[in-house]
Amino acid sequence: MASERTPISASRLPVFLPWLILVVTLALTWLVWDHERQLARKELRTQFAFVLRETVSRVEQRVAGYEQMLRGVQGLFATTALTNRRALCDYVETLQLDANFSAIQVIGVIEQVPLASKPAHEARMQQLGFTGYAIHPEGEREVYAPIIQREPDAGGKHSILGLDPWADPARRVAMEAARDSGMAAITGKVRLAIDRRQEAQPGFIMYLPIFAHGQPRDSVAQRRANLIGWVYASFYMDEFMAGLYGKQAPGITLAIYDEANPVEAALMYRTGESTDKGLPAIESLLSANEYMVVAGHTWTLSLSTQREFEAWYGRDVSSVIAVTGAGLGVALALLAWLMVTGRARALRMAAEMTEELRHVAQHDPLTGLPNRALFSDRLHKELARAKRHDGQFALVFLDLDHFKPINDNYGHAIGDLVLQQVALRLKDTVRESDTVGRIGGDEFVVLVPELAESDAALSLAEKIRQVIRQPFALDGRQLDISCSLGVAIYPDDGIDEISLTKRADEAMYRAKDDGRDSVRRAS
Amino acid sequence: MLIRCVLALWIVFGSLGTASASGPDCSRPYTLALHDHGLLYSAATDTGIDKDVADELIRRSGCKVTVSLMARARIWQLIESGALDFSLSGINNAERDKFAAFAWYFSNKYYLLVRKDSGVSNRADFERNEKLQLGVIRGFRYSETANRLVDRLQATNRLSQAGGLAPLYQTLILNHIQGMIIEPFDYPSLEEKQIRDLSTIIEFNDPAVPHGLIMSKKALPTAEQEKWRSLVTEMRRDGTMRRIFEKYFKPDLAAAMVEF
Repeated sequence: MASERTPISASRLPVFLPWLILVVTLALTWLVWDHERQLARKELRTQFAFVLRETVSRVEQRVAGYEQMLRGVQGLFATTALTNRRALCDYVETLQLDANFSAIQVIGVIEQVPLASKPAHEARMQQLGFTGYAIHPEGEREVYAPIIQREPDAGGKHSILGLDPWADPARRVAMEAARDSGMAAITGKVRLAIDRRQEAQPGFIMYLPIFAHGQPRDSVAQRRANLIGWVYASFYMDEFMAGLYGKQAPGITLAIYDEANPVEAALMYRTGESTDKGLPAIESLLSANEYMVVAGHTWTLSLSTQREFEAWYGRDVSSVIAVTGAGLGVALALLAWLMVTGRARALRMAAEMTEELRHVAQHDPLTGLPNRALFSDRLHKELARAKRHDGQFALVFLDLDHFKPINDNYGHAIGDLVLQQVALRLKDTVRESDTVGRIGGDEFVVLVPELAESDAALSLAEKIRQVIRQPFALDGRQLDISCSLGVAIYPDDGIDEISLTKRADEAMYRAKDDGRDSVRRAS
Repeated sequence: MLIRCVLALWIVFGSLGTASASGPDCSRPYTLALHDHGLLYSAATDTGIDKDVADELIRRSGCKVTVSLMARARIWQLIESGALDFSLSGINNAERDKFAAFAWYFSNKYYLLVRKDSGVSNRADFERNEKLQLGVIRGFRYSETANRLVDRLQATNRLSQAGGLAPLYQTLILNHIQGMIIEPFDYPSLEEKQIRDLSTIIEFNDPAVPHGLIMSKKALPTAEQEKWRSLVTEMRRDGTMRRIFEKYFKPDLAAAMVEF
């Protein structure tokens, strides 16, 4: 019993175990994959936050750089009069507005002129050689703030000397902010006075206030009272952005809008045209607005990522994990299956091989009939059985007549075919319980157990003789063969294997001697 | 003659400065940065609590201190590097404690200002609704619960950074952000009808957070930090600090802020 139970329990577990391993490894793979994906996303967000901070910082630094430069001009007028034209001209020349300052279109000076001083101011400017100088736009205002100098000097043609930015609300807001705070202030998006293009180019202007020498400027009231003018620098936005230090991260689109509302009308600058056109939008793309405050003014910096950014900074190994994990899971499950089914399969294979060996050992390889050893074994068993039950059985010896000439004339291949067909006919003729064996060359033997009467054995032998006489069709030719048979019956003709075999053999030879193709009973 | 007089005065005052053991070392000029933030400091008017505190502190120290205006994030950067000596109204955390020393002079709570139409009635509501964006000023830290909210929203890309308070109010009105974190200094803006009408205030259940003079550890030796700290303590003790706060807040709120 115990030997039966083991294979049953060992064969039930295997079905279950590999599946369990597969499910567990796939679940683990999913967990790791999901974790990795989230990590990758987090890292991408961190990178994006870093790029955003960096971009804001680069813009701020550039504004601060220009503010420093303009503070230099402001400082210049702390030592000389606002009307010292030579000073600004030399100063700007010394600055050498090279590529580093390429965004600056104009550095200029604005003088605050009360209504009462307007005629005197215009007259003084005309005396300096600016014939036709007049504050514009025209009209009577309480206070004017005409541009009295601009460097580098464009040479008169489009000279905007006399232009009063105070009359333009967008500029005036920044000029007031600079005056009240005493610090740099920039305008919103404006069209520069020098911009002659059909379509306005987004620009902005930075102002710093100039106060009267030696006068207090500690409060708003003092600053308003002691203001004498402004210095300013004007910029085209795209040139300003072109001059930023550092390098923009790849796969980023950047836009800057005036004020806190990023609408198209407020757009000042856009770069990094989308490379994802035509591609379906993906959820993971990142975007953010940062509301920078530069020189007292708000700019909205709008940053969003393209696929290139994710390709550059993403370390998405989740697909590798998914494939590796799933593959490993399947491999492990397969291995488990091989291991748990291994014993059963080995036993089966051993049994099959044993069976095959046994068959080879006990059968004639040509005809597949039991060989002498197996036949002898069966004979022994039948002998024992017959002795126990007082039964009888027959042993029939058969030898083909004139078989040797067939081998000689037609070759061994045909001879073998004849032997195989004879074996088939013998098996078809005898009873299920009878055993047909081949004991050598063209010699066959039939064991007919549990014989009711001796005549039955003789009639079987006769039947065999007739069956063998039927023509054999071999390889397109017909062969006629006969056989001689000798029959010995237990217990009448012998009571052991040797005697029975001997008597049956003798009977068969008698049949041969009597002219072949006949049956003889042992006598 | 005039120069000689000034020189004499300078020597007298200078020797007085060094004679008093508690006074800071004025042998070099210092730098102090303000940031534009509600009642703390307004660049437009060049006034505010921080400006008043700075003026008084500078006067009492007798040192030359150059005051400038900077973004808050840059202030922390420069304090850390030692390029800037002082700033005002700073709060500490573990990271800042590594590079900055503080001399507390007031404390206040933080509040979450949200749009009424966002359907938010508490902090958790705000965190739960993934569509809501919170506006913060870059470089700012708040009370514990507020910091936690900010950090969680940062991790899911739900934070809008700004360089100052003004754009945050504008974006709140535009509904580009639905909430922001405010302090009592931001109250005057709340009195503007547009903001008052569309927003509501939610309290963080955190204790008041102390604010103080920020001193760069890299720029100032510990002994010097102590001298500046005692100047601040003296300003609190003699009622100067309270008087400054009373210029900007009702007396009871001013008292609650400076007496902690």
